[in-house]
Amino acid sequence: MHGKEAYVELKFCPNVELIHVVRRFVSNFYERLLADADATSRLALATHELLENAVKFASDGESTIRIGVTKERGLSHVTIRTWNRSSAENIATIEKMVDEMSAAQDLFAYYQTVMRKNAKKREGSRLGLARICAEAEMAIDCQIFQDEVCIMARTQVRTESPS
Amino acid sequence: MTSLELPEVSSPHFSTQATYDGKLIRVHLAGNADLHAKDALESLLTRLHAEIQRLGASEVTVDLHDLEFMNSSCFKSFVSWISAVQDLNADKQYRIRFLSNPAMLWQRRSLHALKCFAIDLIQIEQ
Repeated sequence: MHGKEAYVELKFCPNVELIHVVRRFVSNFYERLLADADATSRLALATHELLENAVKFASDGESTIRIGVTKERGLSHVTIRTWNRSSAENIATIEKMVDEMSAAQDLFAYYQTVMRKNAKKREGSRLGLARICAEAEMAIDCQIFQDEVCIMARTQVRTESPS
Repeated sequence: MTSLELPEVSSPHFSTQATYDGKLIRVHLAGNADLHAKDALESLLTRLHAEIQRLGASEVTVDLHDLEFMNSSCFKSFVSWISAVQDLNADKQYRIRFLSNPAMLWQRRSLHALKCFAIDLIQIEQ
C-alpha cells in the first residue's frame, strides 16, 4: 500500500460511551498498519482526546473523525481529523490554542504552562490539544468553515529501516 | 488506628479502592479514567487530600497498574490535586508515589509530565 492512503472514517453521535470503544478499534488499526506499540499508544491517546473534544463541543450533536495512514519511503504519515459544528466561543478558544501551540518553541514547556494555568480552574481541562502535542508528539492545525471546525493532528512514524 | 474515610468508586469502566494500614495510604485505580470517571475522580482526590492532612501522612501511593487509560480531564484532576499539595506550607506537604505499569505506554509520558510539574513531590515506580 505504498503511497496509497489507508483510512477509516466514522460519523459520530455524541455518545461518550463509544469513545473508548473507538479508541480500542483504532488502536488495532494503528497496530496493524504501523507495528509500533509506542506510536499506537500515542495515536490512540490523540484519537481519544480529539474525539472527546468533538463530542463535548459539537453544537448539533454530530462529529466526524477520519484517520489516514500513508506509507512512503519507510515513513508512515498519520493524519487524524475531526469535524464538528461548534459555537463561536469554542471556535475562538480552539483557534487561540492552536495559534499558541504553533508559536511555542518548546511544546513540552508550553504543556507545563497550560497545566499550571488551568490547575485551579473548575471548568474544563483545556489540556487536550496541548497533551496531543506534548505527549502524542503530533502537530496540530485547525481550519474553520463558518461554524464548522476541523482539527488536524499529524505525525510521522518510521515503519521500515531506511535502505 | 484511625480509619481512612474515602468513598470507593465502582462502575463498569472505572473503579477505585483505598487502603490505610495506620501508616501507608494506598489508592488503586482501575479501568478507564475518561469523561464518565471525571467527577468521581475529582471528588476522590479532593477527599484524599483532606484525609492525608487529617491523618498527618507524609506520603500516599497511587497504584495505576490496572488503569488502562486516562483522559485530559482526569489528568487535570491530578494536576489540580498536586497543585493543592504545592500550596500547603512546606511542613504539611506530602509526597505522591505513582506505581506505573510499563505495559500501559501512555503512563510513561503522562507521569513524566506530572513529575516535571512537581519534581519534589512526585515519585514514579514500576
